[in-house]
Parts: sequence; C-alpha cells; structure tokens
Amino acid sequence: MNQTQSKNAAPVKRGDPLKRIVGAIGTDNLSLIFALGILIFLVTAVSGWLGMSGGDKFFSWQNLLNSLAQAIVIVGLIAIGETVVIIAGGLDISVGSIASIGSVVAASVLVGVGTVGTLGILPAGNVVIAVAAGILAGMIAGMINGAIVTALRVNPTIATLGTLAAFAGFAFLLAPDGKPVGVMTQPDFTWLAQGRFLADAGFPALGGAKWTGIPVLTVILLIVALLVHILMRYTDFGRAIYAIGGNATAARLAGINIGRVKVAMYMLSGGIAGLAGVLLAARTTSGNPVNGNGLELQAITAVFLGGAATSGGKGTIAGTFLAVILVGVLNNGMNLLGFNTFIQRVALGLLLIAAVAISQWRQARAERARTRAEKH
Amino acid sequence: MTNVALSTSTPPPPAKSGSLEINGISKAFPNVQALTDVSLEIRPGEILAFMGENGAGKSTLLKIINGDYQPDSGTLSMNGQRLIFPNPHVAHKAGIRVIYQEPEIIPGVDVAENIWVGELPKRFGVIDRRRLNEQVRASLKEYGFENALPMHLLGDELSSAQRQLVEIMRALKSGVRVLALDEPTSSLTDEEVDRLFALVRRLRDEGVAIIYVSHRIKEILRLCDRVAILRDGQLIAVRPAAELNDAEIVRLMVGRELSSIFQRRPAGTDREAIRVEGLQSNWHQDVNFKINAGEVVGFAGLVGAGRTELAKVIFGELPKTGGRVFLNGQEVNIHRPDEAIAKGIGFAPEDRKREGLVLIRSVLENGSMAILKQLSRFHFVRSRLERSVVTGFVEKLRVRTPSLDQEVGKLSGGNQQKVVLARWLAAKPKVLILDEPTRGIDVGAKAEIYHLIDELANSGLGIMLISSELPEILGLSDRIYVMKNGRITGELAGKEATEESVLGLAITDQRPASSTEAVAAEQKGNTL
Repeated sequence: MNQTQSKNAAPVKRGDPLKRIVGAIGTDNLSLIFALGILIFLVTAVSGWLGMSGGDKFFSWQNLLNSLAQAIVIVGLIAIGETVVIIAGGLDISVGSIASIGSVVAASVLVGVGTVGTLGILPAGNVVIAVAAGILAGMIAGMINGAIVTALRVNPTIATLGTLAAFAGFAFLLAPDGKPVGVMTQPDFTWLAQGRFLADAGFPALGGAKWTGIPVLTVILLIVALLVHILMRYTDFGRAIYAIGGNATAARLAGINIGRVKVAMYMLSGGIAGLAGVLLAARTTSGNPVNGNGLELQAITAVFLGGAATSGGKGTIAGTFLAVILVGVLNNGMNLLGFNTFIQRVALGLLLIAAVAISQWRQARAERARTRAEKH
Repeated sequence: MTNVALSTSTPPPPAKSGSLEINGISKAFPNVQALTDVSLEIRPGEILAFMGENGAGKSTLLKIINGDYQPDSGTLSMNGQRLIFPNPHVAHKAGIRVIYQEPEIIPGVDVAENIWVGELPKRFGVIDRRRLNEQVRASLKEYGFENALPMHLLGDELSSAQRQLVEIMRALKSGVRVLALDEPTSSLTDEEVDRLFALVRRLRDEGVAIIYVSHRIKEILRLCDRVAILRDGQLIAVRPAAELNDAEIVRLMVGRELSSIFQRRPAGTDREAIRVEGLQSNWHQDVNFKINAGEVVGFAGLVGAGRTELAKVIFGELPKTGGRVFLNGQEVNIHRPDEAIAKGIGFAPEDRKREGLVLIRSVLENGSMAILKQLSRFHFVRSRLERSVVTGFVEKLRVRTPSLDQEVGKLSGGNQQKVVLARWLAAKPKVLILDEPTRGIDVGAKAEIYHLIDELANSGLGIMLISSELPEILGLSDRIYVMKNGRITGELAGKEATEESVLGLAITDQRPASSTEAVAAEQKGNTL
C-alpha cells in the first residue's frame, strides 16, 4: 500500500513493533481492553474473597459459555446495528420494539398463528422462512424509521422515540390476542439458542465445570459483527456513513445521496434488531411482544462506550464489540456477586452517561488539536 | 499610534467630549491581517460612514467596537478613559451598540419583551406587564414607530426592518452614546429607509455618535457627515462627505496596484460548456449566462448579491423555480448534488469547513468522496486504485500532508482547500464552480491555486469563479459577470473589466424599483 504513497508525503514511520500493534488496535480499543482486564480482575478477586466456588466462579466453563457468551448476544447484535446509525450521526431508539416485532413475527410464522402466521402466504413449520420473516419485519420497521427521518425530516431521536412506542404496540397487535406464541415444540428453531458447536472437542474442565461447546448464538453474533465490520470498512456504503456523520452537508455536496444511505442504514439496523428478536424467541421459547423491551438502552450504552462520537463520524464495530463484552462482564459480575437487578439498572444508566461524557471529552480534545494544527 | 484622525483635507479638531477614540487598532486572524493600525475618532452629533470592499475590515472594526473581538494592539477610549470590552455586554453598558443586519431576536416573545430582554421590569418577582407595555408604547410613539412596529407581534413574525428597529429600541432604552448600523438598508423598502434615516438624523441631533456602514454610495452621500474608507485592513482616508462623489469613493476603495496579481492569458474555445437561460429561484430573477470550455468566467458582486446561491441552484443544492440549464448544449434537469456530479459539474464551496470537507476523516476519504462509485466494484472500494488516484492529485496539487490517512482537519487552510480541489480534479468534471477558492489562504498557496485554475481551464474545463477579491477575479477571468440583488447587472470582457467598472456595476445605487423586488430582497435578508 505504501508503494503508492505520495513521494512528497513523508513516509509512514515504521516505529517499534509495540507502537505498530497499538496503532493497529487503536488507543480507544486498547483502553477498553484495559478496562475489561481490570473489571475481570475485580470480579474474580471479590468472588474469591467471598469464597465462591464451582459454577459460581467467573472463570468456569459454566459461566463463560452459558452465562456470559449467551447473555451478550442479543444486546451485542442490536449494538452493532446501532453503531452504524450512530456513526452516521443518527440514533435508533426503536430497536427494542423492533426486536419484539421480529420475535412475534418469527414465532407466529413458524407456528402458523396470529396475523402474520394466518395470512397463508408463508408456510408454517419452516425455520428458515420464519427467521427470514422476522428479519424482514425488522427491515420494514427500519424503512419506516428511515422514511420518517428523511422524508418527513423528523429529528431521529424523536422519530424513533415515537416508533419505539408504536412498534411496541404493533408487536402486541401482531400476536394472537396479544399473547405470546410458544415455540417449545419446535426443536429446530430452539436449536438456534440451545445448540452448541464443538461440544465434543474435549477441552479440559475449567472452574469445576465441563466444556459444553460454543453456543450457536455466539457464532451468529460473531458472523454478523464480521459482516458489518467489512461493510463499514471496505464498501462505499461504509464510507458514506462515516462521511454523513462527520459532515452531512459536505457529504451531500460531494455527491452522496444522503436520503438513500440513511434509509438503507435504518433498514440494516432494523433487520439486525429483527434477527435479535428471532433469537430471543428461540432462547425464551416464545415469541413474546415484550421480548425486546429495554434492549435499546444497553445497546446505545455499548456503542458510546465503544468509542463512537456522539456527533457522528467516528466509531468502529470492533470498539462496540469490546464494549458489549465489557457491559456483559459487568452484568455477569454483578450477578455472580449477588447484586440485585435494581442496582444493575442504576449502574447501567450511570455507565451510559459516563460513556457519553468520555466521548464528549474526546471530541473536545480532538477539536482543540485540529484548531492548533490549523493555526500552525 | 497617536494620530487621532487621518483626515487629509481638514485639520483634526480636538476630540470633543464623548467622542469614541480608536487608537492604532490592529487585529490579525490566522492567515489574514484584518486591521492594521487604524485610528479614528467617532464624534457625538455626527454620522460617520465606513466604506470599503468586502474584506476591507469594516466588520472586524465594528466587532471590536462592540466587544465581539479584542484587538491585538491599540485601544478604545472615551473622554480620555480607556475602554476595554471583553464582551458585547460591557460595550452595551458603556453606551456603545452595533446593530447588525440580523439582530438576535427571541422568536416566541413579543416586541416589548424583546426590547427589554434581560432587564424586564418586575413586580413581586413576576414580569410587570403593564409597566413594560406602557414604557415600550411611549418610546415607540416618541420615535414615531407605533405603526411600523406593532407591539403584539412575536419575534419570529418580525420582518428584517422590524428586527432592526427592535435592536435600535434596545439601544435607545439603555442610553446609547455610540450607535453603529451595519448595512441597515440592505433589506428595507424605500419607505422604511426614509423612516430609518429620519431616526438616525434625529439621534445625531440629540448628540449620539453614529457609525453607518453601507455599500450604497448615494445613501452615504445623502445621510453622512464624514466618510472613512478602509482598504485591506487599513484606513485610507477620512473625508467630509461634501468633498466626495461616487467616482472618488470608488477610486479610494479600490486604488490597488494590479501588477502583483496573477494574470491569465485567455484560452476560451467556442465550445459551450454550460448555458443558463432565464433562471429563477428564491434568490434570483432571470439569470442568463454561459461559460465555454476552456474559459474562466468570473462572477463578481457584493456579499449577498446571490452568487453563492446561484452556484448552489445550478448544483442542485438549492431549488430552482424556473429557467433552463444546458450542459454541452443538452438541457439537464438537476435536483440534487449527486445528479449534478453525474452530469459533469463540480462545486468547491466557499466554506471549506462547513460545506467542503469532512474534517474528522482522512485526506484519502475526502479526496475520493465524489468518485466512490467509479472506484467501487460490487460496492467494495478498490483500495489500491483509490490510493493511487488520490495520490496522483495530492502530488499534482502539492498537498502537504504527512500521509493520506491524516485527518483533513489537521491540515492548514491552504492544504485543506487543495484537498477539496483534488476531489474535483479526480471527478473530472466539465464545469467546475469555485466559490471563493482562496479565502483564508496564505499568499504562497494562493499563487499555486491561481496557476492551477489557469491550467485547468487550459485543459478544457469551463470554470465559474466566484470571488469577492477584485484583483483575483480580474487577473484570472476571461470574462466577468457582475451580480447584484439576484440579477446579473453586466458582463465585462477584456479591457472593459477594471476594478472601477466591476465595482460600479456591483454597487450602482438603484433602489429596488418594484415591490416584488423589495419582497425578494427582504426574503434574502431573512434566509441568508
């Protein structure tokens, strides 16, 4: 790549290997890894001090595979879609409700009940079609968000606050009599949540618990994260998202069709939220209209914690992914140490504020650096 | 530092009591010296005009008087006392007020509250409405504005003229001693202008010192007692208005040597690149022009004449309400910037930071932004190709950057502008619109950009050059269109184009003849 670099431009400095590694990971991500290390240390130290043992230990297969790796999946998926929206300078608060819709739609198509399931268009009992229907429902919801934001010029926070309520209600309307749709009798579908890969790999026991295999859920999260990472990093769509978030006017005047990109972006965010809803239905064995409630808060927290700028234009999927693990470990640690859910909610709210404060501070610092550079 | 007035024809009289004395004020911004050692006395009972081209330093001087800016050196004083204004509030307390073209008005609040904002009369902790209304009604009546400024109107229902009146009433209420008006008539109707002039004269007779900033020579000569002329940040002359005429004022405002400026040799072809017929928009009436391939065509005019808006209408950023645009002889219908780019138009906007660049992204991303589609295969950006294309233009334009991955916001102004140009060169347009391409750029980079514009035109582009710097536009353009109030008022080519002829067309002092024009002018004032 550097062979084509400008001759006038100074060659990129090939510093010592440590600096190169730091540069590749990014200082923001490095600080996340550091925070994660401290948090894990605290959790293990405190649990050791409390004399916990067996499956209660942080470092046990039981905890890592069954609690942590699964718990982060739903929030992680939604946070990945949300990252794209926030990088573009938007916000999608409605993702929780979209997940609820995805959950109800997939379950009712699968079982053949409710508004969607009894339309007679989609055959019941087919897992692939049910999953696709859930994702599609999410994309349609996202398209509505995109249309409201671009065509009606409603501020994205307000627009998706409105659809948060509307979609939540719509999830109930789609469910038969507003009741959850049970999918316990659909083992192919619940496999999405309960299935394991490499269950027979024969890794040694950890923390007094046997290796049980990598959850299918976790694999899905990894695949989606990788795909969106590639989308943001290597495609013209990703470029457009960063440009719009950095300066929408400049992006438009450089020929980026902002309306189209934004609609596509909300559809992406909605589709991923729909998928998260489908997986929720598999995990809870029920397509429940309240499945997605409150997911948006955790997702948005993770995005800002992951280094995205509140004003847009900055952020990475990798950062969000690390932040999702961080939030997951925090929740998991608090669970292990016996904090009740009320305290956990207080902590999550404070974490969101802290993450945004840090993001603002970073932006102010970058702004100062730019002003200095230009005066110079 | 100590000369109080630079008047060449009248001996400086001793400073009257209550005069605002400006002593040796200088002010620099990054890359530009806005004011150099300006000394001037503003006397009570006198209307003093500030005149000068765009960028001559009038606004900076007003902002220093108003406390918006602090001078790098020099002082303000009154009655021998030094005045230091860290912010406008302190200046207001000292009795000094600058009325800008678009005063700050609180939208949802009525006239009386807008006038008394910050000092509302209170009773038992709540606003004393009755006293407030009585006071405002009395003072409006005193100055004869009870009809011009109906008290029930809310801030967002006020016209430009009414907004200015509110700001003037704010000043009068707090006992103003020095009142500056910045282009107050640019959006007023004839009747409103007459009323404003009556007020200004009355205030002068009451002993207020008045600064009047305008481009309209006729107005100045009709209203003002003395005229101060600024050029390139320096005070050129202060003369009694009675000793001046139109031609003399224009000569003083311009009076620059042209020899130092780049001079292009015309290389226009007769192949038409773009033609605009009868273009109408919110900002324009019946605009007609054409640019041939290989031509640099200058668009001169004052700030607010509608040149930037014209560029944006053609580029699809602002709506067109009528007229036709032809590219290479074929009519095109453009509604969005991406359509304009696809049809072969490029546009480097005036405000690099707000409209030109995504400052927090890299040189590479900014450089390739307009050609992402061509660089992509199945939506994947071909990174090698992208780097080699952008590198080519970065080298050609000699952009000084440590690497292609440098944040654009961390480059100097000149290099930022070169990145914008690199983007448009990469897009290979047939028509390139350059809006103030050298604003805020140091001299060396300016020269480079002039050579580049010359070279681009010679390679067959049609270039629409908008610039407020007359020497620049005269030196670079093959032909010049002059705009005023959303119209093209003249076309000048070759020897006809001089600073005097261009400025003459740009500021000829014709009041809008019909009421529709006045309305259009008012809308312009509101939206800009």
